[in-house]
Amino acid sequence: MLKKILPNKRGDKIISVYWFAVLIIVAGGIFGMVYVFYGTPYDIRELEVNLLINKIADCVSYAGRINSNVVSEGVFNKDFNLSNDCNLILTTDEWEEVQYYTKVDFYNINNANTPIFTLANGNSNLLTNCEIQEDKEYSKLAKCADGSFYSLDSLDNQYIIKILTSVRKAEKNVKV
Amino acid sequence: MQRGIIKNRRGQNRSFSLRNFLPENRKGTILVENVIFIILNILFISILILFLSRQGDGAVVLEQSYAKNIALLIDASQPVSEMKLYMKDAIDVAEKNGISREEIVKINGNSVLVKLSANGGYQYSFFNNVDVTVYPDVYTEKNYIIKINGYK
Repeated sequence: MLKKILPNKRGDKIISVYWFAVLIIVAGGIFGMVYVFYGTPYDIRELEVNLLINKIADCVSYAGRINSNVVSEGVFNKDFNLSNDCNLILTTDEWEEVQYYTKVDFYNINNANTPIFTLANGNSNLLTNCEIQEDKEYSKLAKCADGSFYSLDSLDNQYIIKILTSVRKAEKNVKV
Repeated sequence: MQRGIIKNRRGQNRSFSLRNFLPENRKGTILVENVIFIILNILFISILILFLSRQGDGAVVLEQSYAKNIALLIDASQPVSEMKLYMKDAIDVAEKNGISREEIVKINGNSVLVKLSANGGYQYSFFNNVDVTVYPDVYTEKNYIIKINGYK
């Protein structure tokens, strides 16, 4: 024991078992905090959903004009595929299920309630995650973001385009 | 020992010396105790600082950080473009762990794999369907070059 190494006959135990107990408690607290801090993955899904929105927006409409592959002569192309035509790859070997969901709604400028055309791609189950999180965010659910903008087709018809994107990847971004 | 005269509250003269501040034990054991006490405290704080700094520079943290960083860069990029990513800390850790510069970052399909230790490695996927090439910069520079060649 340290007491034998450092004799203190007056009983004034500066270096005592209690001091080491305090040190161990402090060290344990710091180790615990560091473990929790570094053990929590960086959550980049918010950046990903916003990048996905920008990517889709650039694909669907560029410089204020809707892509002619989406609308041609006022007629929407039902064969337009967000994945293939916008150069997106939503599947990966890393995940068994698709971790992305994207939806683009086209609204007539005079009626912003009912979409006149919709493009969707990815795992539609993630859509429910977005509905649940309308009031409060839950980190373990998929991250969702939406954005809207105004655009014209080749005939100068006016549209409001709303884009919704969702990214799950919870296991890689949140401590589950 | 320095000696002097001070006055107490009642105005009476009292002699004082450094001894007034030391206990009556003249063998100097308190000094030894204090020195050991301070050394132990410094040792304790040093170990904590070392632990904290090692955690921040650890391979696991860096692998995750760079894999996600590169995935985001690829997602945000347009073909044809070239990006230089300064990876000094990651390259230093990898070289310390015996991983060559060429093996640090790899692209598998649409996933980025960053490996800084023999048993480690972190993979993160990107959604931009582009053909990417990654390679380290010339030897003296501790950068990694990410080249977006075109859409697949």
